[in-house]
Amino acid sequence: MDDYLIGVLSNIGVISFVALSAYLLLLTGEISFGQQAFFAIGAYAAGIATALWGWSLAAALVWGAAVSGGAALLVGVPTLRLHGLYFAIATLAFAEMVRILFELFRYQISIDGELIGPNGTDGFRNIRYIFDHNIDAFQFLLLIYSLLAAAMLGLLLLERSRLGVIFRMIGQDETLAELQGIPVARRKVLAAGIAGTLAGIGGGLYAHLTTYVEPRIFDIMLGVHSLAYGLIGGLGTAFGPLLGVLIDIGLLESIRALAGYRMIIFGGLVALLLIVRPRGLLDEMVVHKIGRGWRRVSLWARRSSLKPRGNSA
Amino acid sequence: MGTAVKPETEGKQRLSDWRMAVKSATYVIATLAMLAPCGLENAHAQIRAKADVSCQPAEKLQYDCIIKLANARTSEPLSGLTLTVGADMPSMPAAHNMRPVKATEEQDKGTYRARIALEMYGDWALRLELSGTVRDRVVKLLRFESDRVGEATPAPGRHRH
Repeated sequence: MDDYLIGVLSNIGVISFVALSAYLLLLTGEISFGQQAFFAIGAYAAGIATALWGWSLAAALVWGAAVSGGAALLVGVPTLRLHGLYFAIATLAFAEMVRILFELFRYQISIDGELIGPNGTDGFRNIRYIFDHNIDAFQFLLLIYSLLAAAMLGLLLLERSRLGVIFRMIGQDETLAELQGIPVARRKVLAAGIAGTLAGIGGGLYAHLTTYVEPRIFDIMLGVHSLAYGLIGGLGTAFGPLLGVLIDIGLLESIRALAGYRMIIFGGLVALLLIVRPRGLLDEMVVHKIGRGWRRVSLWARRSSLKPRGNSA
Repeated sequence: MGTAVKPETEGKQRLSDWRMAVKSATYVIATLAMLAPCGLENAHAQIRAKADVSCQPAEKLQYDCIIKLANARTSEPLSGLTLTVGADMPSMPAAHNMRPVKATEEQDKGTYRARIALEMYGDWALRLELSGTVRDRVVKLLRFESDRVGEATPAPGRHRH
């Protein structure tokens, strides 16, 4: 496979984690502009674990996910009592705070005579795990998509579970959910924790994919995009945000003629979709229709296989 | 949504929620555990590369870059490698990136030349991918302007502390 194609597919896979993270909060009816902060925490934590502490990649990814999930839980407790615009602003403020903290964060160790580690605005270079362990780009792509498949499986199961129904219920009408006896604040904190964990896994993968991170990678642009992926792709299923990422990085990236105008097209697409399809391309109605169609096809296939056939002998 | 949750069933429901959360976490951890062996390979004492990059504007949004590669420890020039040069915009990860171009080796040992075409002016992280006898990646942050190329600095309004 072409290196460039592997690169684009890897980017799609990694950014999908932060898109899924924003999607999960959208399900509970909250717009978060701050998921990039957990992506950053995951990236720095996992990068430090392999580059400075010599951990294995798997342990570093678990560590990155745990730290960002823990941070999301901590942030969720005070902020998820806010709603709408206030919550959006609080998450944005938190993300900027994290970014600025990483601009101040210095933690370097001399390895083989070379200082390695986060160095404020200069970023964190030499996260060389994949080179030191001879993992090629294609193997890393497989790792990204294996983890993405596991995350998707988890999310699809979650959506079919009682907890998934509760998340959607809270997203539809929080007051009504509370009146039905649902501990709304607790469920939302749980959603924030899972969302933070997802973003952290993505961040850990990103740091090892690019071998380099710096605070400005995790600014508001990434947050807006991760939110937009769910809004474009649709909120009816976890496949929605993946479709959003595919449209942005896959489709628009492949049309090189668009080059610098991509962001304008992307912004226009978001605005248009919010007017025409406020819950995205794969909204609940479309998902329901696809499900009904699938059930009909499988029923028809079952019936036709049960029909008695004439004996040709 | 017609799901009514009676207060007396809340304990059971909480238990099932946590079961689901634990299940999801188990899937992720199981996948990581399966993939762990790729992290347990012995780390090779790889040669680390360092690069000195200088670029000059050629045409509109095109730049000629001279890249000097050397061993980071011994400073010996690294020649005979395949070098590809890609670029990402740090301000928008995964979105603005350049199709990597292959650099050609010059007569001077460890010196390579590549022409890169960017989408816009601004700060770009050049990704130098080395393959062949040395496999490594060096990232250099540069600011590309219409008439000059210099060191990338933090965005205006952000201070170095």
